[in-house]
Amino acid sequence: MRGIAKRFGGVAVLDSVDFSVQPGEVVALLGSNGAGKSTLMKILTGVYQRDGGSVAIDGREATMATPREAAAHGISFLPQEISVVPEMTVAENICLGAIPKRRGLVDDAAMRARAEKILTQLGFSHISPRAFAADLSVAERRIVEIARALAADASILVMDEPTASLTEQEAEMIFRIIRRLREQQTSVVYISHYLKEVFAIADRIEVLRDGRNAGSFLPSETTVATVVEAMLGTVAGDMFAARMTRTRGETILTAKNLGLRTSLADVSLSVARGEILGVFGLVGSGVELLGRVIYGAEGTRHRGTMMFAGQPYAPRHPADGKRAGIGFVSAERKKDGIIADLTLRENLVAPFQRRYGTGLFTSHRRETSRAVAMIKSLGIRTRGPEQEMRTLSGGNQQKVCLARWLDPSVKMLILEEPTRGVDVGARREIYGQLVALARDGLAILVLSSDVEEIAGLCDRMLVIDRGSIAAEFPAGTDAGTLMHATTTGAAA
Amino acid sequence: MSAAIGGLRHSRTASGVLILLAFYVVLLIAFSFATPFFMTLRNMLAISSNVAFIGLMAAAGTPLIIAGGLDLSVAAVAGLTGVLIAVLYGLGIPVWFAVLIAVLIAVGIGLLNGALATGLQLNPLIVTLATMSIVSGAALILTGGLTKQLGIAGFNWIGAGRVFGVPVPAVLMLAAYILLAITLRGTRFGRYVYAIGGSEETSRLVGLPVKPVQVSLYVISSVSGAIAGTMLAAMLGAAAPNAASPHLLTVIAAIILGGTSLQGGRGSVWGTLVAVLILGTLNNGLTLLDVSSFWQDVTRGVVLLLAVGVDQVRQRLQNR
Repeated sequence: MRGIAKRFGGVAVLDSVDFSVQPGEVVALLGSNGAGKSTLMKILTGVYQRDGGSVAIDGREATMATPREAAAHGISFLPQEISVVPEMTVAENICLGAIPKRRGLVDDAAMRARAEKILTQLGFSHISPRAFAADLSVAERRIVEIARALAADASILVMDEPTASLTEQEAEMIFRIIRRLREQQTSVVYISHYLKEVFAIADRIEVLRDGRNAGSFLPSETTVATVVEAMLGTVAGDMFAARMTRTRGETILTAKNLGLRTSLADVSLSVARGEILGVFGLVGSGVELLGRVIYGAEGTRHRGTMMFAGQPYAPRHPADGKRAGIGFVSAERKKDGIIADLTLRENLVAPFQRRYGTGLFTSHRRETSRAVAMIKSLGIRTRGPEQEMRTLSGGNQQKVCLARWLDPSVKMLILEEPTRGVDVGARREIYGQLVALARDGLAILVLSSDVEEIAGLCDRMLVIDRGSIAAEFPAGTDAGTLMHATTTGAAA
Repeated sequence: MSAAIGGLRHSRTASGVLILLAFYVVLLIAFSFATPFFMTLRNMLAISSNVAFIGLMAAAGTPLIIAGGLDLSVAAVAGLTGVLIAVLYGLGIPVWFAVLIAVLIAVGIGLLNGALATGLQLNPLIVTLATMSIVSGAALILTGGLTKQLGIAGFNWIGAGRVFGVPVPAVLMLAAYILLAITLRGTRFGRYVYAIGGSEETSRLVGLPVKPVQVSLYVISSVSGAIAGTMLAAMLGAAAPNAASPHLLTVIAAIILGGTSLQGGRGSVWGTLVAVLILGTLNNGLTLLDVSSFWQDVTRGVVLLLAVGVDQVRQRLQNR
């Protein structure tokens, strides 16, 4: 791809970007959110049309008017959200693009054989072609998706955050596949926020910044700091704000023996004003449920008792949590974090509309002034308060999700995966914001499967494993110790 | 304030309404050339009066669909209301009191729809399809399937009277649109409607009163059916159990044609109003041109497909 340009409205999203992949090469495409990575890949895969530049495949000029045309050129895109059909078998999912037929009917045997062959080729012959996709783990579904691309004769695979929501061990399976693909001369474009992964797997690193090429690196000849600098355009300091000595205030939340079905058992914890308590757990450990139970999002199904701000606290739904003085930032930003069709302003004032209106009416003026103030204080990069939420980048959406809870009535914030799918720059700003909020006396509970995040950010850390608290650590504990506590289940 | 009354949330919605409006004007011009009887004050007022009861139901159905709900029972409620008024009046109950009872029953039906659709999380399509069947069955039982006469001087004014020369039903319909437009655009309740339609889960997690809002929308829709049924019975001077049922599809068609998304989260009552006028004008114009009503059904379907298709293409182009 040479000199690719793309404009949306009057804004140049890509400005003369060059990008290339050799057969059997793994190229990592990096950049902050909004740098133009997805736009570039959408042009390559025929979703968008370029406004300038040229694309050549095997040296021949190629048009890519539709995703189908791109697929015919052997280009296959795996989006971040896994798209397998749960009600279909593994074989059906793999052959979805070209179902083998005999006399007009589906040839099941041929389909299974084809699926089996590809899975074996990838080194995962243990996944049965007869199994239903619904019964597979997230990682196995991802593998099925890769197999589908290969079944469609893909020679260039574009993967967007293929290891998001996978555990470290599962991610390792994906890497194994990528290495195998490389041996078979299949090219891979790998988009990820996890720099560690990128250094482990990529042959070459391409960085975009503000819609332009910002550097090309060989992992063996560069450092993480250099790459981050290229992404941000400034010298990258420490990701986490300098740890302030904060005074731990009075305890605001005490939870005793929380349980939920078989997923959580006897979890007890307390959070104090002015502290950031981190709960680290791998996906499936209960880390994704604990915050919801405390906030009231799991209804009355849970066991155990809670005290909040000196009062017995038994939330029946999220409105109860909010009324008590708890704010909640969800891990599933697209699903239950934002309202994509509404504007930034409307998303921002959503929980406390009463505060920015008069009587039954909303006040456009007061909502706007609130939004403008929050855009400024959190550094949300936007065209303005009226920008539709769906068009903001992940990091900026996340800032809005955080900003909406900055209300005098909120005494404690619960954040699930506060920086999932968020670029490095926004990530650092969010961490800085959380530290500042804690300094101002807010109690903060962070639940995350990102071990670096918990280790770097929190004053006190709990490790949750198979639904119960496995260990507690003080500030300054390193990520390796935390990780060790989950895999062994032993307290330090 | 213009934005507040506008009720048009995004430029995309606004441009959709403008396109509809343009189509409406084209339709008006075309029919004016085709027949001299069309562009007369008399005929225009007749159209406004004829579309009023459909327009009223479509107005109330719009916020419900924006919030992700659906009410198929609304036209059946209209039929039942007319019948109830006639039966209660026949028993010697004062007519306005009979109307009140009928409206309260509509509130009950709306609560039932809302409770089943939001409390038990049943699919609103199935729930309201079932209540539609129950309600229209009840109306047939009450009358034995017959049409009841309803000639009451004061009462018939609701359907056939004039205010400053404008038919009362048209005035009521317009009032409903203005009220709903202000509610949707200017009030907290209206914001909740769009938020819930945009993402019910997010709305729940930020602590919005999701279920109360949804249930009230079902009640509002049901009550609009009752008022529409009252207007229709008063206009016709008779209550037929199935008087409104054939118009259910027109009501839903108008809401969709008006740019409200069946997925929820997007739409405006002004779009619905223009769509109601288009469908009503089409009906009227074709009747004046002596086109059979069978062909009118076909035309209505084609217009709906055309409008939805054009809208989809336009949105794709904007998204490029």
